[in-house]
Amino acid sequence: MGQANVGKSAFFNRLTGAKVAESNYPGTTVDFTKGHMLFQGEYVDLIDVPGTFSLQPKDKAEEVAVKMLGEEKEALVICIIDASKVERGLYLALEIIEKGYPVIIALNMWDMAKSVNVKVDTEKLEQILGVPVVPTVATRGEGFKELVSRMGQAAPVTIEEIIRSVGNSSRTHH
Amino acid sequence: MWEIAVELTIDQRWDLVDRIAKETIEVGAYEPTLRDTLADVTVKPLTGIPFAIAVIYGFWMFFSGFAGFFTDGFFVKIFDVHFLPWIQSVFPGKGTWLYFIFVGDPSAETCFESFGVLTSGLFLPIGVVLPAIVAFYLVFAFLEDVGYLPRLAVLVDGVLHKIGLHGYAIIPTILSLGCNVPGVTACRPLESRKQRFMMITLLGVFIPCAAQIGMMEGLIPHLIGWVFLTLAIGYFAVGFILNKVWPGESPEILMDVPPYQKPTWRNIGRKMGTRTSHFLMEAVPFFLLGCLIVAVMYLTGAMDWLGNALAPALTGVFGVPEETVAPLVAGFLRKDLAIGLLGGIELTTWQMFTSVVLLCIYFPCLATFALMLKEEKWKEFLATMLVLVVTVFVFGGLLNLIGIGLGIA
Amino acid sequence: MGNRSTFGSVYFAIFGFMVLALGIVELVVVSTGGMEGASWGPLEMGGMLLWWRAIILVFAGLIYLSSVNNFLDVRQLGKSVIASIMIWIVAGMEIWARIAGSIPGGPEEGTPWFNPEFLATYGPPYMPEIYLLPLSLVILYFVGRRKKQGRLS
Ligand SMILES: Nc1nc2c(ncn2[C@@H]2O[C@H](COP(=O)(O)OP(=O)(O)OP(=O)(O)O)[C@@H](O)[C@H]2O)c(=O)[nH]1
Ligand SMILES: [Mg+2]
Repeated sequence: MGQANVGKSAFFNRLTGAKVAESNYPGTTVDFTKGHMLFQGEYVDLIDVPGTFSLQPKDKAEEVAVKMLGEEKEALVICIIDASKVERGLYLALEIIEKGYPVIIALNMWDMAKSVNVKVDTEKLEQILGVPVVPTVATRGEGFKELVSRMGQAAPVTIEEIIRSVGNSSRTHH
Repeated sequence: MWEIAVELTIDQRWDLVDRIAKETIEVGAYEPTLRDTLADVTVKPLTGIPFAIAVIYGFWMFFSGFAGFFTDGFFVKIFDVHFLPWIQSVFPGKGTWLYFIFVGDPSAETCFESFGVLTSGLFLPIGVVLPAIVAFYLVFAFLEDVGYLPRLAVLVDGVLHKIGLHGYAIIPTILSLGCNVPGVTACRPLESRKQRFMMITLLGVFIPCAAQIGMMEGLIPHLIGWVFLTLAIGYFAVGFILNKVWPGESPEILMDVPPYQKPTWRNIGRKMGTRTSHFLMEAVPFFLLGCLIVAVMYLTGAMDWLGNALAPALTGVFGVPEETVAPLVAGFLRKDLAIGLLGGIELTTWQMFTSVVLLCIYFPCLATFALMLKEEKWKEFLATMLVLVVTVFVFGGLLNLIGIGLGIA
Repeated sequence: MGNRSTFGSVYFAIFGFMVLALGIVELVVVSTGGMEGASWGPLEMGGMLLWWRAIILVFAGLIYLSSVNNFLDVRQLGKSVIASIMIWIVAGMEIWARIAGSIPGGPEEGTPWFNPEFLATYGPPYMPEIYLLPLSLVILYFVGRRKKQGRLS
């Protein structure tokens, strides 16, 4: 899951070898696609969904994504965030974490973030959220080995834990 | 839907996001690059509109050059000079119904005129439409990949607002110029029911697909500009009226304009591959089927009967001869086939023009029709069909009147 | 180092005027001579879409002229880059049309599949955009120089 145009379909094609359309504008994908990927020696289902801003769908494409999440209660969610616009993606990620899904976060477009001089401290982010955070470049496949190998570490965390750990690491304010 | 232990309010969640972001993100100094200024000057109207004109010009020139190279340069020759005489002479049983169905008119000199399943039915999809589809998607995939489309959306935002649509609507519209099916599905990101209904209706009625455009380019290259102009006038006029009469609102959509990027050839190649194979697998059978149905209807006399039945409307209202009933029938399956079949009928220039415009609007092809049923509620669907019927008669009648008025009908 | 380049400013001021002038001539041709067009020695104007080309040239010329002040500033450079791209599109498509038109042998029976005299179709007269193409490539030098100065594209 992730916002529009962050590279979800590029991710999906990489991981499953599918041929879903990727284009450089929001709203390319308007329906879900299922595919299979190799994970820990066996094939598991992976689903590509349309982009959504939040879990309160505003249009029919977002509805598809949110409904899919609601139906797949057992799912592990790969949350894809545009590394140059982390805040927005983080909002959706928190929402999904709150629902109790095990989440792994991919900071995609890492190359773009670098070229606009935005730096994200992945280790600290990982500490605060308590879920794996992996920088990736979906178009070139960078970070995918690490992503797949760490998918097993995704586990549900509660929002209180997150609030507590932000508190810890930012004793200076609030 | 979910069982949740704690739920944050929206504000609390944003607050948490802010705190996390403060801890982990560092935004460094950054000076705009040439890429950023290009992004900027191509959306500013003063520089962006001229640039868009150049892009559309380039799109068209590439498209017509590419299609012309394959169709007029090679396929016409292969089919008309070599394949047609050959199959006319080797196919057994000249004069039988089997011959009529598969080869068509034994005296035909071009595959536009013969109407047979193995002649027109193969020549039209492979010789005419395939090059057009490949050419269209080559440029389109390139523009998609570079990230030009959302900028076009920003540029036309003002114009489309006049008919209650948002600039984003240009994306489904351009997609529809490739094929109406993905165009209609691309309406899903539109927020309100009203906008979706309006868009689906306008796309289904007024936007010809690349296959149709390719066929027009093969058949009436000198008229194509007028056809586009007529359809564009219809698009805006009907959009304007619908916006006034259909209840509902047209909220603003905030659209992100992503930065330009270098096109990835692998991605473009992949899209080309899926689109071309999709066309070969799904469209060619429909061409064959369409030719088959038309031939059988001729043989059984059903076509003549239908032609007579519809003659008052066809000749009376639209001013086209009743033979155009065959393309009309084929058009239910595929509109490009229908336009191709016009090539075998004797028409004046004005009649040709009217017929092409009418074929473009009178019915969305079968695939689009089925999709509309799925995407729209019943009420909306019926309204779309009503718009369609009214438009056909108003447009057809007006064109006929204009033709008579100008003395060229 | 400032954002001034006397060479760039002067060059694209002259070039911009040239583009604009040719665009205006095309406009005049299209509105008087119609689609038949006109030709002077190695220069020709005509064809179905001359209207479009005329408009594109006029705008490209104006955009060049608006970019000459403070030429090396990214915002200004961006303008002359898109003006150049506009010329490349038109000229590139003309070259493409010529190549695509030159290869097939002809539609009639008995003609060869490929045109044996295809090189002859590349000779003059050319439309103005073809002459403007090489002159507009100078912009690449300025873009390249920016890149070399260590700034990202
Ligand atoms: N530079 C860079 N570009 C990327 C990366 N990942 C994807 N892209 C490009 O970003 C664009 C969007 O990718 P998509 O996969 O279509 O995005 P999406 O999230 O599926 O978008 P929607 O379906 O519209 O929600 C494409 O043009 C990709 O080529 C990346 O890591 N780096
Ligand atoms: Mg997608």
